[in-house]
Formats: sequence, structure tokens, C-alpha cells
Amino acid sequence: MIFKLAWRNIWRNKRRSVVVMTSVAVGVIATLLMDTLSRGMIYQMLYNQIGSHVAHLQIHRQGFRDNPIIQNNIPDAAVVERAVSSTPGISHYSSRILTYGLLSSAAASSGVFLIGIDPDQEGQITTIKGSLAAGTYLSGGPNEAVIGQSLAEKLGVGLGDRVVGMASALDGHVGSDVFRIVGLYETLSSEFDKSFIYIARDNAQEMLGVGDLVSEFAIRINDISQLHTIQDRLLEELGEEYEVFTYPEILPFLVLQIDLYEQSMIIFYAIIGIALIFGIINTMLMSVFERIREFGVLKAVGMKDRRLLMMIVLEAFLLGIIGTGIGFIVGYLIYLPLARTGLDLSMFSESLRSWGVGAIIYPVLTWNVIANALLIIPIFAVLGALYPAFRAGRLQPMAAIRYV
Amino acid sequence: MNPTDTTEHEEIIRTEDLGKIYEENGIPVHALRGVTTIVHKGDFLVIAGPSGSGKTTLLNLIGALDRPSRGKVFFEGRDLSKKSKSELASIRLHRLGFIFQAYNLIPVLTALENVEFTMMLLGVSEAERRKQAMATLQELGIDELVHKRPNEMSGGQQQRVAIARAIVTRPAVVLADEPTANLDSTTGASLLDLMERMNKDKNITFVFSSHDPQVIQRGRRLILLHDGTIKSEQSRTR
Repeated sequence: MIFKLAWRNIWRNKRRSVVVMTSVAVGVIATLLMDTLSRGMIYQMLYNQIGSHVAHLQIHRQGFRDNPIIQNNIPDAAVVERAVSSTPGISHYSSRILTYGLLSSAAASSGVFLIGIDPDQEGQITTIKGSLAAGTYLSGGPNEAVIGQSLAEKLGVGLGDRVVGMASALDGHVGSDVFRIVGLYETLSSEFDKSFIYIARDNAQEMLGVGDLVSEFAIRINDISQLHTIQDRLLEELGEEYEVFTYPEILPFLVLQIDLYEQSMIIFYAIIGIALIFGIINTMLMSVFERIREFGVLKAVGMKDRRLLMMIVLEAFLLGIIGTGIGFIVGYLIYLPLARTGLDLSMFSESLRSWGVGAIIYPVLTWNVIANALLIIPIFAVLGALYPAFRAGRLQPMAAIRYV
Repeated sequence: MNPTDTTEHEEIIRTEDLGKIYEENGIPVHALRGVTTIVHKGDFLVIAGPSGSGKTTLLNLIGALDRPSRGKVFFEGRDLSKKSKSELASIRLHRLGFIFQAYNLIPVLTALENVEFTMMLLGVSEAERRKQAMATLQELGIDELVHKRPNEMSGGQQQRVAIARAIVTRPAVVLADEPTANLDSTTGASLLDLMERMNKDKNITFVFSSHDPQVIQRGRRLILLHDGTIKSEQSRTR
């Protein structure tokens, strides 16, 4: 009956309740869209990094990550290949040779990461092949190079032009070769496009004088929840001579950014909640002052303060939960088409690309977003009702009944 | 008349040297000045007196709605001055019924729900309280009002529902503060008939505060207050 009473009480002043519920709903819609789009942006940064180069797991010789020089190559690629092939859950892998070097054109030079790849293998684990803006992917022909569009602009070269790659070889001398640009790629990160160039693995091995050695195995797995299981299995198979890293270990700042985002969103929700709390306090205070005589009667007939407090808090909770429900449904209905088409932010594409994010943001709805949206605001509504409820609880029955 | 004249009846409420001082604009107002009296089981008692004589204050003190500035109120032998706020609320809920001048029904509840309300506070099951509330409304001849809300009822009908609410829990005492003041004399008389019947048939104790002559005339005991003291106290045989 307390619920029935609270429910009917909130509809005594329909206009006021609708205004409160609308403000709650608008708050929920705004936070839901902001949260899903922000998450979409951050996850896009993460997935772009995974998709363009990092993959889910990387295997190196022990110490390579701290000192990625050509001398720290994988001692026996066949051993790693056997371990990878026998580990369940791995969908594809690519063995690479990579080193830091210099790429020069007639006009300019730039420090780059030279990545020697097997084009077929790499095509299975990264998005470079699919990110070509012009030209073709590596065909296996001699001295082909695929570079980023941004790097090409920086060096003043285009398709078919020749560039010189130089890097420290295994024996300590400088290895160099001339490459013909066959393709220009454009990923969602302009910084990445300026830094990574792809050449055939055997070209790189020859230039660096490493025979058939490789520096890294990049791995994609089928089920991301198995990431650590697969890492443990590979570590067990390969022993201490090798290091196996997961993408959160390779991209700690991005993972930290996601953690920070989760925490900052709680603060953001709290700010929205605090803004709403004053609306709730105001509404509930008005509602309490209008019903002082009635509360006096309720207390006179024996209603205890705790029950009265509960009734007022329940009224605020109902206002909050209905507003939240409406806000969530409307927000979800806006989210659904956006999740399919994305939000086109082309006008900010340059600055977004410098952060590794595309011009189209796809909102991401997670259980965290749903829990935040559905719980935090009703909780603040309850908190907002405590003061008015406490005031009502302190009323003296006689004084309240006589209140004019 | 000495209140001990009625000692053959069971005592429910006893006041001893009851005093109440209010502050009005910083000036102390002596609403009651040492009232000593007894309410017995089955009484149909009227506290009468002119405005400002302290009748409502006395009713509030014996109804555990207010605390005295001096003296004591004993309810069924329990000293109310020693009870906490929550214990007083519990006594009001379990042992007292209230009827107000302005009816004071809960506007968002129907007549039936208003009558059920105190039983809900007592923790009576939904089915049982519905049964008892319906029976009480039928007994008072207002069962056609069950689904009506207070704003759909006349003053007399609302006060009948208020009476039903007050008696449905079978309280030891029903306290009625000016119950006929907002009603015409015919409606007032019919309500008094009803309360008299409840008093006689069910032995429910009624204590009224009123200056309505027809209420005063109906009282079997009359306490006349003047300036916060008992001017006279008399019993009548009817």
C-alpha cells in the first residue's frame, strides 16, 4: 500500500512530475549517448592499433621489447611456428622482421619502422591490405614497398617512385636498398601512416643480413576471452628464451586510458546526478510542504517516521526510475541507428586521425554503460529525497495537522 | 464532581496535574493549568469549553500527540512521558483512533483504502484488512462509497469514512476533535447517532472535544474547561 500511495502521490501534480521525469530522461539520454560515443572512440583507437599492427599477441626473443634491435631476433622461427600451430584458439599469425631505419627520397628523409612481412600472412592479421588508398599490395615482386599516404606526402613521392631504405644490419654495418612504391595506405591514424613502411620479408632479411631470421610473430586469436590462456600456453611451450605479450601489455597507455575513462565516467555521472539532485530536492520539498497536514495525520494515526521517510524516498525513486527508463529507451532508440551508420565527424577528421580515430564514430553500448545509466541517476534521486523526507520525519503531528 | 466517582469502571486514561505552555511570538501561553481527570472504558465523554479553554490541547495530550509541560498522562497504566516518539506512535496506532474536524482522509486513496490504511500499518494481511474494512463500511452504511476518493464525497460522507478509519482497528479510545464543526446539524446529529451506537453496541470509548451544543448534549460525561482548568465535571444518565 505504501507503493500505491507513493505512486498516486507522484501523479497529484502531474505537470511537476513530468518536468522532473523529463529532466531525468534528458540527462540519461545525454549521458548514454556521450558515454557510448566516447567508448566507441576509445575502442576504435584500441582496435585500430590491434588491426593495423599490434595484433592480439606478439612473440619475440626475450628482451626484444626493451631493446628492439635487429640482433635481438628470434633464434629459431621453426620452434615458434610449431608452438603457434599446435596452440588451439589461434586463427592466424604473421612472422615479421622489423627494425628502425631511415627512408629517403630525393627531396627528404624520415625515420621509420621497416617491417618485413610475408604479404599473405600479414594480410590475414592486419588491415594494411584493406587500407590501401592507391596502388597495390605487396605482390611478392622484388623491392616493393607499401608506405603511408602521409609519409609519401612528407617525402614528396608517389606511386612508382623510388625510395632508399637504410637500417643497421646484423653485422653492425648499415644495410640499404632501393624500393619502388607500389602502394599507399591510409589507416585511421596519421601518426602510424607516417612511421610504418612494409616491404617483403625476404627483401628485409637480405638488406639486414639476417638470413631467414625473423624478429616477431604477431598472432590473432579467435576468442579474446582466451587471451591469457593462450599467452600462458605459449610461454609454457616456448620457455624462458622467448617473451609473449598480450595487446594490453603492448599498449599499456591505451589500456590505462580505458581504465581512466571508466573512472572519469563515474565522476561525469556523479556531476549529472548532482545537477539532478537539486531538481529532485526542490520537487520533493515542494511536495512535502504541500502535504504537511497530511503527514501530520499519517503520524497521528500511528505511521512511524521510518515509514514516512520510506514513502517520500520511494516517490523520488519512482520519479527517478521512470525518467531513467524513458531516457534509456529513447537513448537506446537513438543509439540503434547510430551503431549501424556511425556518427559522421568528417569535419574533425584531421584531428581525429592524429588520435588514431576515424571520422565515423560507432557508439559502443556495454553493460557498464547500461548499469551506469540505469543505476546512478535513481540512486541520486533517492539521495535527493533524503533531506525532504528527513524534514517530513521531524514534523510534530499536532503542529503538522494545524499547519496552514 | 470528583473523578473518582466512576471507579467502578475500568480506567483507560488518567491525567495528573497536566499543564501545557505554548510559546506564541515569544510569549508563554498557558493552555492547560493542572488538569487531573480519568477516562474510563466505555465513556462517551465530551470535553467542552469556549475557544482557547484548552480542550483540543487536552485531547492532544491524552492522545499521545503532544507532550505536557508538566504533569503526567497515564494510558492503560503506562506513563506516556516516559515513552519515546516511536513508542508513542505505536500506542496511537494500536490503541487509539482519531477523528478530526477537517476529516483529514488521505486524498489519493479511496474510502476503502483509507479505512484499510491503519490496518496496513499494523501489518494486517491484504485480504484480511480488505474484509474488515468492507465490514466496517457496511456497518456504517457507507459501503457504496468504497471506490470513491475524498474529493468525490460530501463532508458527512468523509467524516463517516474517518469514523470507519478510527474504529476499524478496535482501538481502546477514539478521540474526536470537533467532529461536527464542519457539518450541518442534521449530518452532525446522524454522525453522533452513529458514534453513540458504536459506543453502546461495541463498548468503544469516545472522547470528544467540542463546543457544539448537540455534542455536549449527547455526552454521558462532560468536562467543562475554562482557561486551562476544569471548571466542572459531571456524569449524566441517559
